[in-house]
Amino acid sequence: MGLLAILRKLKSSPDKELRILLLGLDNAGKTTLLKSLASEDIAHITPTQGFNIKSVQSEGFRLNVWDIGGQRKIRPYWRNYFENTDVLIYVIDSADRKRLEETGQELEELLSEAALAGVPLLIYANKQDLLHAAPASEIATGLGLHTIKDRAWQIQACSATAGEGIKDGMEWISKTVKKK
Amino acid sequence: MLFGSLYWYAFWFFRPLVKWFLRKTTKLCELQRVCYGEPSGASRTLGVEFSLVHSKVQRIQEVVGMMNERSENCEFTGKFLKSNIELAVISLIRVKKINPTIHTQFIKSFGRTVEQIWGYKQLTVEVENLRRTPYDASNPEHEDLLIGLWERLNPDIPLEARITKQWQDIGFQGDDPKTDFRGMGLLGLHNLYYFSDYYQKVAQHVLLHSQHPVNGYTFAIVGINLTSLAYHLLQDGAAKTHVFNFVKGSPVMRHFHQLYCYLFCEFDRFWFDSKPKSIMDFTRIIDAFEVSIRSSLANPQTVFRINMLVDTI
Repeated sequence: MGLLAILRKLKSSPDKELRILLLGLDNAGKTTLLKSLASEDIAHITPTQGFNIKSVQSEGFRLNVWDIGGQRKIRPYWRNYFENTDVLIYVIDSADRKRLEETGQELEELLSEAALAGVPLLIYANKQDLLHAAPASEIATGLGLHTIKDRAWQIQACSATAGEGIKDGMEWISKTVKKK
Repeated sequence: MLFGSLYWYAFWFFRPLVKWFLRKTTKLCELQRVCYGEPSGASRTLGVEFSLVHSKVQRIQEVVGMMNERSENCEFTGKFLKSNIELAVISLIRVKKINPTIHTQFIKSFGRTVEQIWGYKQLTVEVENLRRTPYDASNPEHEDLLIGLWERLNPDIPLEARITKQWQDIGFQGDDPKTDFRGMGLLGLHNLYYFSDYYQKVAQHVLLHSQHPVNGYTFAIVGINLTSLAYHLLQDGAAKTHVFNFVKGSPVMRHFHQLYCYLFCEFDRFWFDSKPKSIMDFTRIIDAFEVSIRSSLANPQTVFRINMLVDTI
């Protein structure tokens, strides 16, 4: 760590901590998103067996991001990580049109969980760099997002590999949390 | 931390003096002292590599640069191999004024370390190329390997379709393995295929372990994560101790696959010894496994050999 970074750290007031849960089907791009948030190399990603955690500094917050594997066998364990979640980020592979229904069902189940009641929801419509990706508006309609009334929510088009759209989503999170 | 950096400061400060002194007293250059003094394998080859890479002699730097370039272009193989080694040896004995008729043993040992050092470098390039190649479902060669993997693991159970839930039985995430290779690309598939092909009985046995209803893990996905471990060990040079002790000459892809198979067998043992509560313990256990492998590799005598007996009754 450079001297400047240490000084800056001493000077700034301790940031507010946020616990963020990152969920979605396998191959949605959760780990790529996590690494991209932490400005880490995204070339060597492997399927997440279990989970990854990273602490990221963003928008004046200290984010503790929990990235849980998305394969069907792991999904029953998601609920072990619900407690004390400040924001739920749900990642969707916009190009995987065959599984849009499956991802919708999983999301619906999550939103009906008591432990996640009222938790703000950010949906990343990921992989927008792929040619056949569905636009965010189409996904929002498909998932019936407009019927969500019990929490703040937002859908954000992004490409985790290109790093596009991620910042906009994080800005929404910081605005939403500050309002609370 | 402070003492560590002080040590290295003193080391680099006094190194030329120490080298000069030893040269005068032993009448041997550093490379000769390494080749005569260290046993063949990692100790010797790592010593030679260190000496060459840090040499301040311009001609040696040129030769090192040339060898790097040739191994990066994968020219450190087949018919070029011998002439490359000769070039390195001849350049060195000229620069260091070594009498080749007296130091025949040195020339032999030094040539072998050159072969190992740049063979390893070339292997990292080949492994990287394979990793960068994404799995392509429209390429019949890729598809054949994938189907071949199934057939070797489950010779008695035919695959019902190309896209089927059966893939989850060998530990892929969904109905189509093609998206599971991710950042490891074709390298992940080649590793799994080699394991199931070359050590078929062992691989079937490990697969059976992995299918334990409570403590099991997902075979193929864990396999791809182990490819990532083997890849990083190779690329950051940690695997050099094992490779230089294991392979007499130029290491090739087969040796990388064998390192992978060793890691798979050891991980299987390590996993059950760690008493996992569920698959969610994976991150913790693979991190501990990596620490244990890296600490073994820090010992220059380490050589990994597969140590798993399978009863075939």
